[in-house]
Amino acid sequence: MIKENENLERIAKEIMRPVGLSKNFILWMSFLGVILAASLVAYAIQLQNGLTVTGMRDYVSWGMYIANFVFFVATSLVGMLITSVLGLTGISWIKPIGRIAEIIAVAFAAVAGLVIVSDMGRPDRLINVFMYGRIQSPIIWDVTVVITYLTLSTLLYFLPLIPDLAIAKTRMDHCPVWLQKLYEILSVKWGHTTEQYKIMLKSVRILMVVIVPTAFAIHTVTSWLFASTLRVGWDSTIFGPYFLTGAFVAGSAAVVIAMYVFRSSYKLEKYITAFHFDKMGKLLVLTMLVYLYFNINEYLVPAYKMKAADAKHLHELFVGSHAFLFWSVQLCGLIIPIILLIFKPFRKPVPMLILSIVILIGAWFKRLIIVVPTMEEPFLPKQHVPHEFMVYTPTVIESMITIGTIVMAIMIISILSKLFPVIPIWEMAEEAENESEHKLNE
Amino acid sequence: MLKRYFAAITILATLSQAKAEEWVVPADKAKKVSPFAFTPESKKAGEALYKANCMSCHGMPGKNNAIPLVPPPPDLAGTVAQSLEDGEFFYKITEGRGPMPSFKNSLSANDIWNIISYLRSFNDKYVQEVARKITREGITEGNIQILFKLIKENKQLQAEVMNTTAEGKKPIEGAAVKLFAKRYFGNLPIDEERETDASGMVAFDFPKDLPGDSTGMVHLSAKLVDEDAFGEVKSDTVFAIGAPTCKPALNEQRAMWNVVQKAPLWILFTYTIGVLTIWGIIFYILLQIRKIYILGKNKEILGE
Repeated sequence: MIKENENLERIAKEIMRPVGLSKNFILWMSFLGVILAASLVAYAIQLQNGLTVTGMRDYVSWGMYIANFVFFVATSLVGMLITSVLGLTGISWIKPIGRIAEIIAVAFAAVAGLVIVSDMGRPDRLINVFMYGRIQSPIIWDVTVVITYLTLSTLLYFLPLIPDLAIAKTRMDHCPVWLQKLYEILSVKWGHTTEQYKIMLKSVRILMVVIVPTAFAIHTVTSWLFASTLRVGWDSTIFGPYFLTGAFVAGSAAVVIAMYVFRSSYKLEKYITAFHFDKMGKLLVLTMLVYLYFNINEYLVPAYKMKAADAKHLHELFVGSHAFLFWSVQLCGLIIPIILLIFKPFRKPVPMLILSIVILIGAWFKRLIIVVPTMEEPFLPKQHVPHEFMVYTPTVIESMITIGTIVMAIMIISILSKLFPVIPIWEMAEEAENESEHKLNE
Repeated sequence: MLKRYFAAITILATLSQAKAEEWVVPADKAKKVSPFAFTPESKKAGEALYKANCMSCHGMPGKNNAIPLVPPPPDLAGTVAQSLEDGEFFYKITEGRGPMPSFKNSLSANDIWNIISYLRSFNDKYVQEVARKITREGITEGNIQILFKLIKENKQLQAEVMNTTAEGKKPIEGAAVKLFAKRYFGNLPIDEERETDASGMVAFDFPKDLPGDSTGMVHLSAKLVDEDAFGEVKSDTVFAIGAPTCKPALNEQRAMWNVVQKAPLWILFTYTIGVLTIWGIIFYILLQIRKIYILGKNKEILGE
């Protein structure tokens, strides 16, 4: 229960200040809009000419798009990690950043579905998946869990937002009328009654529990798209946890970047503090150590056995044509950040931002390193094909479309964070209330 | 030291293997030459046959892109292959050895000569030697046919070899006939090679347990062995001489690879329960939001 007092007044004012359409926001969105338009042109070209405009051919039929898809699904998983896993264990420092994690989850899960469509030469045939899909196929499981996870994440974003919408709707004179109306509708007649809080908190708790298996399912199924095929590098029993732990690394890095951007551009230093960065830094080290452990398993065990087909693949990764990317990703995306983040000074906001950007870029290329080298090593010999079939080189169009999907996710994050408070007002007010009561008792 | 020892062993093994690999074609077979002159048409036909039957191992001639097998399939446009006589080529393709399959039963002599014609097109120095036309009396003209007759009680299949000319039908005597049953991959020889009698008749015994289709039908093909004399004469037919094979269709039972209606029960069950549970909960949450709305509305009305 929250009380209407100066605490709430102050917090609501500070958090609601950036909400609404500012000039800078419109400029930022136009900038993103231009890039998106360019990528839509690229997509139009792809629609017209088919996937031949990409670098994908018969052997490497999964390229940047699928790597990008895995990256999106991975990043979206952080919503579950922070709100559910940490939330259910009663860790309270996640309160101001939980919503940021949920925004990232919603944006990345929503765009993940579109990324998969970008990999289709005939997207009009998507309907066939629903009409003739076989439930034995991991592709159907994937479609199912992506939609389910997106729905759950949206609900988990929306439910705790309801009290904030009700608090905010009386304090948004600076906002356009349509936005005020939207708040009125979305706040579903919230009246801060005990009963309403009880229903909301119970629903959130149920969602927090249910989203754990769903999130595990979404990324495990994504990993099964690979692991259920008999290919070198994918034929692995630990692909599920390997992908999951990698997802937590990518997602946590994305949250840190978003935390930094919102904190500095929305002036939220009071809510997202150095303490939160420090905590997120420790969480990153933990997730990266677990992921490193799975990496060692994933590469060392096959490298010890060196089965003929594996040997060729691993050779390409360790010292061959993919070695530069492979070692860059392992070192810059994992090992060096782990070492640095162990030291407290590197867990300050600015170094955290820089490291998180490096980790996130590393996470993207890591997916490429999982997808492409395996596709280049089929079991049957490659014969009688032109050179462009042998090795995969992404084209400009393909890269533009991929950039477009990333821009789309950033746009969704920008819109959600600009139209609605990024920090839960009622939870902050509750905390402040507890604190002042605590002081009084003393 | 040990390394050197292994190296020596390896070299020895390779040498001895290479020796064993020498593939000598009998002198009389090596002298065989094509019954027709190689033309652009024969080369073209040969190219299609080459791509369908040979390319998967030998690669494209002259490109040195055979698959890495042991022993390695040679590039057939290479100097080693091209130094073979036409007859040696013909023999090796017909008979096969080790990993090189025999094409005796799946390609006709004409087909094989067409392939050789194609391979020779990569050799500028090649000069063809054409066989003089061997002809037998009475068969230089007319249309030779093989007609089938099934004698069920004897488990015998009779074939009648007749030549139809302007003067009428005449049986061909003393022609060797081979009978094959068509299988998925290539042709299965049935019984021995037999010669026609004075009435042009030849009889083949066929095994009782020859697997046929679900109704016992077997696709049969008979051909005259002496293609030099008769040209390519063959005839196809279908008879119910086989044992009906009623293997259940692979897609009959529930399986992972089957259509969705025949998915394994456990997966149908797991998937459905999972989806229903989670979406049931989602529906429940939506109802809770509605409840929040109704509570708020009631409060508003009471407040007013």
